[in-house]
Amino acid sequence: MSEETEQEQQARRQDYSEKEKTEIFDGEFMPHVDSMYNFAFRLAFDEDDAKDLVQDTYLKAFRFINSFERGTNAKAWLFRILKNSFINEYRKKSKQPNKVDYNEVEQYYNSDDVDESFTTDLRVETVQHMIGDEISGALNGIPVDFRTVIILSDLEGFTYEEMSKILDIPIGTVRSRLHRARNMMKEKLAGYAKEMGYNK
Amino acid sequence: MSETMSEFSVWFKDTFKKCYCEQGNLIDEKQFAEIVQLVLDNEADEESRTIFEQKIRTCVKSNMSYEKEKSIKLEIKKKLCEHKAEMPTNLVSTIRKSVDL
Repeated sequence: MSEETEQEQQARRQDYSEKEKTEIFDGEFMPHVDSMYNFAFRLAFDEDDAKDLVQDTYLKAFRFINSFERGTNAKAWLFRILKNSFINEYRKKSKQPNKVDYNEVEQYYNSDDVDESFTTDLRVETVQHMIGDEISGALNGIPVDFRTVIILSDLEGFTYEEMSKILDIPIGTVRSRLHRARNMMKEKLAGYAKEMGYNK
Repeated sequence: MSETMSEFSVWFKDTFKKCYCEQGNLIDEKQFAEIVQLVLDNEADEESRTIFEQKIRTCVKSNMSYEKEKSIKLEIKKKLCEHKAEMPTNLVSTIRKSVDL
């Protein structure tokens, strides 16, 4: 992905009036607050952190509103800010009790030459029998970078191209990461199914 | 979008070559699952989609794999959507207050 130069960014900067800023904020940013909160909550696992994260995102969005081009994809723009805030601020002081070294897991799953030797025998009926809690539990159980692509794609309906921009990764990586994320999720679900006797 | 499509067109063709069947068995199921994902995510271009549709019409194993992936994806999506976190009622007003609107 080519990096935009400072001059190009400057050239794209808008100069909105106060009235226009309010219109953009209310008309283009605020309709996404529900999705933003859900995304934040699924990243942070904590109501207060999720609330702070969304509030912080909207503050930044308002502060940098002149960088936003009216009529372009506001949702993707906001998600990108939220994701960056999460990585830079909230992830460091994560309240998660689980201290698994996810970096190690991510490095393994992110490597291009990974041998995905696992095959998951997850049946459709198994997933049908499960409740939202169990599916959410499986999603929450996978490393955050993988969880993120599933949320962006399957819950929020972003295209690979939009995800590539939100996450700052090449589009090919979006495709492969999503594939690995879904495999990881299926592994989790298959594990639950076995524990709970769904496959009997 | 066209840039994206051409990137995946090449990938699709290379990957698809490995997904032939022998005696009714799909040779590389893992690779085929990646192709199915691209199609289900609506990221395959028209040519790739046509090749794919031809494949699932003529190969039972491929068709089963596609239908299974499609159902699992839909079911997971449905349940995750039903299980969304409830947004705090005061969040909107807090945001508006914080930006002084």
